[in-house]
Amino acid sequence: MRSGLLRWINERWPLSPFARLALEEEMSGGSSYAYVFGSAALILFMLQVVTGIWQLFYYVPTLGQGYNSLNYLRTEVPFGWLVHGLHYWGANAMVVCVMLHLSQVYIWGAYKRPHELQWITGVFLFLLTMAMSLTGGALPWDKRSYWLVEVASSAAGTIPVVGETLKRIMLGGGVIGQLTLSRFFVLHVAVASGLLLTLAAVHLVALRKVGNAGPWDDGQRKNTGPFWPDQVFKDGLFSAFVILLLVALSIYAPPPFAGMADPLDASYIPKPEWNFLFLYQALKYFPGKLEVIATLGIPLIGTIVLLLPPFVDDSVERRPRKRPAAMAGWVIAVTLFITLTLAGAYSQPEGFAAPQTSQSTPSTSAALSPSADEKAGSGLFKSQECAACHSIGGIGGTFGPDLSGEGTKGRSGQWLADQLHNPKAHNPSSEMPSFAALSKEQIGQLVAFLLGLKEEAPAPASTGLAPSAAAGGQTQSAPAVTGPHGEPGIAVTIIGSPDHGAVLFEDSCASCHGPRGTEMVSNPGSTHGKVPPLNPINRDLFSPDPKTFVGQIDLFLQHGSRPEGPNPRLSMPPFGDTHSLTQQQIADIEAYILNLNGVNRATIHHPGIDPDLFFIIAAFAFSLIVINLWGWWWFNRLGKRKGKEAGE
Amino acid sequence: MEETGIVTDDDNGSGRRRFLIWATGILVSFSGMIVGIPLIGSIIGSSFRTAKTNWITVGDVGALPIGQPVNLKVVDNNVDAYVREPVIRHLWAVKHSNADVTVLSPICTHLGCQFNWNPASGHFECPCHGSIYAADGTVLGGPAPRRLDTLPTRIENGRLFVEWKQFRSGTSDKVPA
Repeated sequence: MRSGLLRWINERWPLSPFARLALEEEMSGGSSYAYVFGSAALILFMLQVVTGIWQLFYYVPTLGQGYNSLNYLRTEVPFGWLVHGLHYWGANAMVVCVMLHLSQVYIWGAYKRPHELQWITGVFLFLLTMAMSLTGGALPWDKRSYWLVEVASSAAGTIPVVGETLKRIMLGGGVIGQLTLSRFFVLHVAVASGLLLTLAAVHLVALRKVGNAGPWDDGQRKNTGPFWPDQVFKDGLFSAFVILLLVALSIYAPPPFAGMADPLDASYIPKPEWNFLFLYQALKYFPGKLEVIATLGIPLIGTIVLLLPPFVDDSVERRPRKRPAAMAGWVIAVTLFITLTLAGAYSQPEGFAAPQTSQSTPSTSAALSPSADEKAGSGLFKSQECAACHSIGGIGGTFGPDLSGEGTKGRSGQWLADQLHNPKAHNPSSEMPSFAALSKEQIGQLVAFLLGLKEEAPAPASTGLAPSAAAGGQTQSAPAVTGPHGEPGIAVTIIGSPDHGAVLFEDSCASCHGPRGTEMVSNPGSTHGKVPPLNPINRDLFSPDPKTFVGQIDLFLQHGSRPEGPNPRLSMPPFGDTHSLTQQQIADIEAYILNLNGVNRATIHHPGIDPDLFFIIAAFAFSLIVINLWGWWWFNRLGKRKGKEAGE
Repeated sequence: MEETGIVTDDDNGSGRRRFLIWATGILVSFSGMIVGIPLIGSIIGSSFRTAKTNWITVGDVGALPIGQPVNLKVVDNNVDAYVREPVIRHLWAVKHSNADVTVLSPICTHLGCQFNWNPASGHFECPCHGSIYAADGTVLGGPAPRRLDTLPTRIENGRLFVEWKQFRSGTSDKVPA
C-alpha cells in the first residue's frame, strides 16, 4: 500500500530523488555534534518563518497601531506571548547559531576547495541574518525601534556621494514616517527573508553536491557514516533542546515592553541590540568626518575579510595547529567583537551625562551667612532674568510656575540645585533653560534665596500651573480623591514601559508625590494638607485589573486635578492637556505607577495555558523523551553485548 | 547555445533559431523593463518628494518675553503620507517686539540633535557635539556647518503663526529635507 502510493507519486513527481538528495549522504568522518549549529540555524529559520507568519495575523505595520497590535497579540491572544517570545528569542538564537556555525567551519578549515561557494553563500546568509535582525527590530515601533531606524538611516547618510539618496530610499522620504516603517516591514517579511530562503537552498544544494568536509585530520575522514539518521538525530536533539530553551526564555525573560516610539522623549537612552553593539561602540572612535569609517568602512571591510579565506588560504592543510595565522585571525576577530560588544554594553551614550549632583546645597556653603546668601541669590534672580518667566508675590512672568512661597513647598535644596543645573532632570519636557554655567556658589545662593521665600502669593495669582477648568468647583460630595473630569487619553491604549516610566516619574512626579510615590509631601491650603501618595495608591483608584486601574489614574495625568480645600498650594498639572508630557510618556508613567502598586500593566489576559505550567509540561516531556531514548539505547547495547558473549 | 545542450544544431533551421532566440530575448527584456522600471520608480521616486509644510498656530505674541529665547510646544496637524494626525513640535522663539518674532527650528544643523538655551552664557548649546549658536542663530563655535534654521513666521492680530519645515543636517546650505 505504502510503496504503491510512493510509486504512484514518483511516476508523476520525483519525490524519492528529492528525499535522497535531502537525506542520503555518506559523511566523511561520520556524524558529529560539532556540525549541529548549521542545522540548528536552519530549524530556527523555519521557526522564524512560522512564528513570523503567525504574528502577521495580528500585527499591523503602522506608526499609530504597530506597537499596540503587537502588544494585543502578546497579552490578549492565547499563546500570543509564546509566538512573539519564540520569534524574539529565536532571532537571537539564530544569530548565535549562525556565528557558531561560521566559526566551526572556519576552525575546521571546511571553507577550502571545493567548499568555496558554500563559504561565500554562508557569509551572505550571515549578513542576511543580521539584516533580518535589524529590520525586524524596527517593527515593534517601540523606543528601541525608533532609535534603531534613526541611527541606521543616519549611518547610511554618512556614506559619500550616495549616502543622502540611500537614506531617503531607506526612510521613504526626508524624515522618519509611516513609509519608513512600511519599508522596514516589507524588507523584513518579504525581501530579506525571501533572499535568505533562496540562498539557504543554494547553500544546501552545494553541500550535497560536494559533500561535507569532515574532520580536519586526513585519517579520520576515511571512516564514513550516513547523514540519515545519524547526523539528523544529533541535529534533532540539539534543536529540540534549543527550542525548549526558547520556550523558557519566552516565559522567564520575555521581550521587554519598551514603550511606544516617541521622538520627543529626550530622556530615553538608545542602545542597539547586542549583535550591533560592536558597531555602535566602534562609531564612537571615529568622530566627525571619520564617522564614515565606522558606518561604511567597518561593515564593508568586515564583509570582504569574511569572504577572503577560501581565496587567500589555498593550502590543503586543515589542521588548526598547522594554520597559526588563520587561527590567530579568528582569535583577533572574536576578541575584537566581544571587547567592543562589552564596551558598548557598559558605556553611557554621549550627551546623556547623569544629572549633576551639586555639592553646594545651602547647608554646605557655610562661609556666608544665610541672609548674605539669600541677598546674593536675590541679585542673581534679577540678573539672570528669572522674573521673565517666574513671578514672586504677583510680580513677574507667567511662563514658569509661580515661585511665591517656594520655601514652603517641601522641596529640598538639592532638588532646587538639580532643577537649576538641569531642568530636564525633573521634567524632560521642561522649557526652563539650564543654569549650569553658574558657579556652585551662585547656585547655592539662588537655592538659599528660593528656600527663603515663605510668603504665600496673593490669592488671585496662586495658580502656578492652571488646573484644568473642569477640575475645580464640582466637588461637593467630598470623596477621598477629587476626580478630574474628561475623557481618558490615548495613553490608556498603550502598554507603557515601567522602566522608562520610573525615569520620567523621578523627573516629573517625584517632587510632589515623593520618590517612588511613597512620601507625603505637604500641601498647605488643601483639606488633607498633603499630596496623596501613589504607593500605595488610594483604594478607590486601585484595581487589580490593569486596564481599569490605568483608566482611573489616566484622567488625573491627562486633565489634572485640584485638591479640596480653600487654597491648595499644589495641584495636579494637566500633563496631557498641556502636552507637557506626550501620550507615550504618560503611558510609561502609568505602567510604573501600576508596578508600584503590584499590578503589571502588561498582564497576559489570555495566556492559553498558564506559562509556568506550559514550561513544566514542556520540560517534563523533553526530559521523559531523553531519558527513555537513553534507556532504550543503553538496553540495546547491553543486549548486543550479552548476545556477543553468548555467541562466544 | 551549443554548449548548454538545450539547442541541438540543425542546419536547415539555424537562421530561424537565431531569430527566435533574439526575439525571445527582446520580448523578455521589454517585459522586464516595462514592469521593472516603474517598480523601481515607485520605491525610489517617492523618496524624493518634499514634505508638505503646514502653518501652525502658535498663539498670543504678547505672552512671550522680549529678548529671551523661549521653547514653545505647538500642535502641528501633520500629514505623513496618508496619515493625518496632530503632532507636538518644539520651537525656539525670540521676540524682538510684538510685530517681530524670530522662530528657530529646534534641530541642530550639525547632526540633528535638539539644542538648549544657556541663559548664563546667552548662547544656544548643543549637548551632542558642542555646537554653539548666538541668540539670533549664528554659529559661534563647534562643528555646526551653518546657522540655525529660521522658520517662516506670520503675525496676524497679535497671533503668531509658524510654517513647520525640516532641513537637511550636516550641510552648509539650508536644503529642505
